[in-house]
Amino acid sequence: MNRHPYLRAYLAGICVPTIFLLFVATGFIFMRYVYNLPVPIERVIVFPMAAVPNLWGVWNILFVSFLARRRFSIGLFGAFLPLLLAPLGFTVAHLLQFPIPPHVLAAAPVALPVGMVLYYLVWKHLVGSLNAELGVA
Amino acid sequence: MSKEPQLDRELGWLRKTLESAVPPVADSEPRRDLWPLVLRRIAQPQPRTSLRMPWFDWALLGLAATALFLFPALLPALLYHL
Repeated sequence: MNRHPYLRAYLAGICVPTIFLLFVATGFIFMRYVYNLPVPIERVIVFPMAAVPNLWGVWNILFVSFLARRRFSIGLFGAFLPLLLAPLGFTVAHLLQFPIPPHVLAAAPVALPVGMVLYYLVWKHLVGSLNAELGVA
Repeated sequence: MSKEPQLDRELGWLRKTLESAVPPVADSEPRRDLWPLVLRRIAQPQPRTSLRMPWFDWALLGLAATALFLFPALLPALLYHL
């Protein structure tokens, strides 16, 4: 199992958001087309569909290649990912002229720490166990 | 001249060569009976996988759940970034 460690790290990294996206996208589509939610979600769905899982994979490759041998906490490393994702997601939404609801914008200062806490837990317990299962960390 | 004596000679030569190349094993039997160990291993219950989290992680999860309960507007933003 010493072959292609970065490929396995990438696959372990994209696994959680890819599975999660299935449920999120289903929920978004139901809200948009069944309940006629007046928010053009399809304009920005490319961000959680393409950018987020790939960034998780790349983030895990970075962890495996630089930090896994130094016993750095994978949860802590994962908790820093929202610091990259949040401005990136906001920029994508802004560039695609997505109307962010004002109450969501108002909750942004709380969203970042809550996101970091959730990322810490998910990376520590899910991505960490996937890495162990695939023998990369 | 039949072929069988020649074959026997060749097989005999091969046997002797192999025997001289591979010395006989001194103790071929295990030192103790391994079968009880096998039975004990089979009888052992399978390890159960459980969600064991330290108290700190439970506290963080509770904190995040409380924040989501108090600020439901966080949910779409978080779902967008997950």
